[in-house]
Amino acid sequence: MSTRITIPIGPQHPLLKEPLSFMITVEGERVVDSALRLGYVHRGIERLCQTKTYVQNLHLFERVCGICSHVHTTAYCQGVEALLGLEVPLRGLYLRTLLCELERVHSHLLWLGVLGENIGFQTIFMYAWRDREIALDIMEELSGGRVTHSGNVIGGVRIDVGDAQFSSIVSRLNDLEQRVEKLLGVIQHERTLRVRTQGIGYLSPEEIRRYCVVGPVARASGVDVDLRRDCKYAAYGRLHVNVALAHEGDVWARTLVRAREAIESLRLCRQLLVGLPEGPTRVRAPRRVPPGEVVSRAEAPRGELLYYIRSDGSDKPARVKIRTPTLTSLITVHDQLEGVETADVSVVLSGIDLCIACVDR
Amino acid sequence: MLRLRSIVYLLPDLVRTLFTRRSTVRYPFGPLELPPYFRGRVVVDAELCRGCGACVRDCPSTGLRLRHDGHGGFRLLHYPDRCANCGQCEASCRTGAIRLVGAYVAPTHAREELVETLVKGSGELKKRGTSQAHPST
Amino acid sequence: MADLLVALAKLLLFPGFAFLFACAMLFAWIDRLVIARLQGRVGPPWFQPLADWIKLMAKEDILPTGTNGWVCAALPVLSLAAVLTASIYIPVGGWIAHAFEGDLIVVLFLLSLPPLAYFLGGWATGGVYSVIGGNRSLLQYFSYEVPFLMALCSPAILSGSWSIAEIAARQSETIWGALVQPLGFILALVGLIGKLKRAPFDIPKAKSEIVAGPLTEFSGRKLALWHLSIEVKTVVGIFLLVNAFLGGSGVSGLLPAPITFAIKSLLVLLILSVASVLYARLRIDQLANLGWRVLAPLALLQIAATVWIGAT
Repeated sequence: MSTRITIPIGPQHPLLKEPLSFMITVEGERVVDSALRLGYVHRGIERLCQTKTYVQNLHLFERVCGICSHVHTTAYCQGVEALLGLEVPLRGLYLRTLLCELERVHSHLLWLGVLGENIGFQTIFMYAWRDREIALDIMEELSGGRVTHSGNVIGGVRIDVGDAQFSSIVSRLNDLEQRVEKLLGVIQHERTLRVRTQGIGYLSPEEIRRYCVVGPVARASGVDVDLRRDCKYAAYGRLHVNVALAHEGDVWARTLVRAREAIESLRLCRQLLVGLPEGPTRVRAPRRVPPGEVVSRAEAPRGELLYYIRSDGSDKPARVKIRTPTLTSLITVHDQLEGVETADVSVVLSGIDLCIACVDR
Repeated sequence: MLRLRSIVYLLPDLVRTLFTRRSTVRYPFGPLELPPYFRGRVVVDAELCRGCGACVRDCPSTGLRLRHDGHGGFRLLHYPDRCANCGQCEASCRTGAIRLVGAYVAPTHAREELVETLVKGSGELKKRGTSQAHPST
Repeated sequence: MADLLVALAKLLLFPGFAFLFACAMLFAWIDRLVIARLQGRVGPPWFQPLADWIKLMAKEDILPTGTNGWVCAALPVLSLAAVLTASIYIPVGGWIAHAFEGDLIVVLFLLSLPPLAYFLGGWATGGVYSVIGGNRSLLQYFSYEVPFLMALCSPAILSGSWSIAEIAARQSETIWGALVQPLGFILALVGLIGKLKRAPFDIPKAKSEIVAGPLTEFSGRKLALWHLSIEVKTVVGIFLLVNAFLGGSGVSGLLPAPITFAIKSLLVLLILSVASVLYARLRIDQLANLGWRVLAPLALLQIAATVWIGAT
């Protein structure tokens, strides 16, 4: 008896952190179709930013997403600084990159906990979020806020690291690296986690390129794209980034890629702190931006983040367009859900690291 | 051996967790520690504030307001319910007068408590600095 | 008349409703506390399960339109009644309300009524999540029940009696069933985890997939009774396992009978709590695979070994 049932995943569902509407059509326990609907957290940020000055917009764009707030402001500040023709001092670039990498660690640990919770492995959720507190405490010490750091200003950064904080931060980074290595061991060896995530949501490299998927989802299928190594924005020109790659293309490969990226980010944080140059952290920026347009890119924890900024000579931007990385991954979910079991829907949706606030803006 | 261990992989970590410090506190029955660098209340040093209005202009949520009384004095008002504790005022201030300290703004029922007068400048104070006062937005 | 009063006291007080209610709350608290401490958290205070139950009893009780109110009200009561009836035949620390030859079969039958009620609860309230949860719970039932039954037959075959009190007494004199039949003990534990729908076998009520499964639409008093029946079933299942495999209250000579019984029950509860923290939730087809390809053959092996031991 093949009756089709439509299961609504969202807008309210224990699986989702932010509202999203997925209507999954199942036959028995197999998924045959899915329909996606976005826009539940659309706040009109791109229109709102045209009524505020560049300085005020800094804090508006920080609140596009809570998890990757710093990289949004990084991309925005880079674009405006390019329009203004400013050169950020090296110490400012290093501190900006330090917060970017710490944010990557915290985002990947958050995601690992969410994946654990969604496959019923509550212990991984508790452990990953307990270790994430270390990264959040370091960010709070540096900037005063756990998730909205307000570290960037146009022309540099607002934060600074003193000598007294330096050694405590480095020792905590070492401790966190050991804990993430332990979590990586769990991902690699724990039987039930592998059984739940291996073979689910396979994406081939051709599909990745066709949908323009970016970030860890692309790297888990063997497509080697990483803006930190390719574009060398901020202080990445002075760092050597080892890009984590995998070739299985399923959710387990994405988990491995993100865990390895977190360890690599901690290594980069240590390198940035040890090699921190002396000097000022910011330059004063004029209020009015000369006319022009710029495309600024940054590597968010979920992939390539793109800001297009057009200015018309006043102190308010004419147009800002944001392309967030989760949108590219969401388009592939329909293909990934072909023929999976109902229970794997949560695994697939967790594997692409949803950040609906980013998508809807 | 690893195959056998993979069936109960987490067990050593579970046992170890029993002897480490708990990561949750039984709030409100236990104390909650606020970190020292927390971005909380906005305070202004009256000696340094010139009434230039840079903080007012740059505040993203119109949480600050500068009122001139026509005799050369001014008042800097702050609205904690609109304030996002972003710290832009601190970053924009040229003299370092306004800063965020690590204290909470307590919730309240009275509307009047949601308007704070941060600094009350007199005429002499204004003459010291340059007249960059902008009208509030 | 005095017999009637004594029987009522045994049913209502000890080892009956009141005692089981208190045990259910206590075991639920210990379970949550152990899970929390293993995960690095503080855990709830001792009155938390009781407070949750009282809160649920006081809440508004609504059902979707079109559902049969009488059926939905009867199902949790049926589930609770089956579990409480099963507890009559299980000795607690040496005391027992009633025993007869063959009460093991009766207890196992009574303990299989709650899954049926659970499934019917899902179908009666009808919503997408409830129906899917109900289907899954039935499929899960077929996967774990056969190994569970066969594993519980082994101590009966070894002791030569089908009365739980007899099995416990026999084992406390000679040797614990868990030591002679370790495989049977492990299979019984796995079956119990499936029966109680605890992690990693909490597939019918998988929160991240189908919200709350068959109990999604229940609220208020009905939900309070459902939760109570699940918690009492935990207690009854643990007591059953302690009697069948760990020698009941035992004559150890060191400690009085109730204390040994309590220690053994808490030991089994500890094993259940650790198992729920250790694993991710399995998928229903993976559970069916596990049940029929691994557990059922092992249970057959256990019975064969028991028969061979008994013959020699």
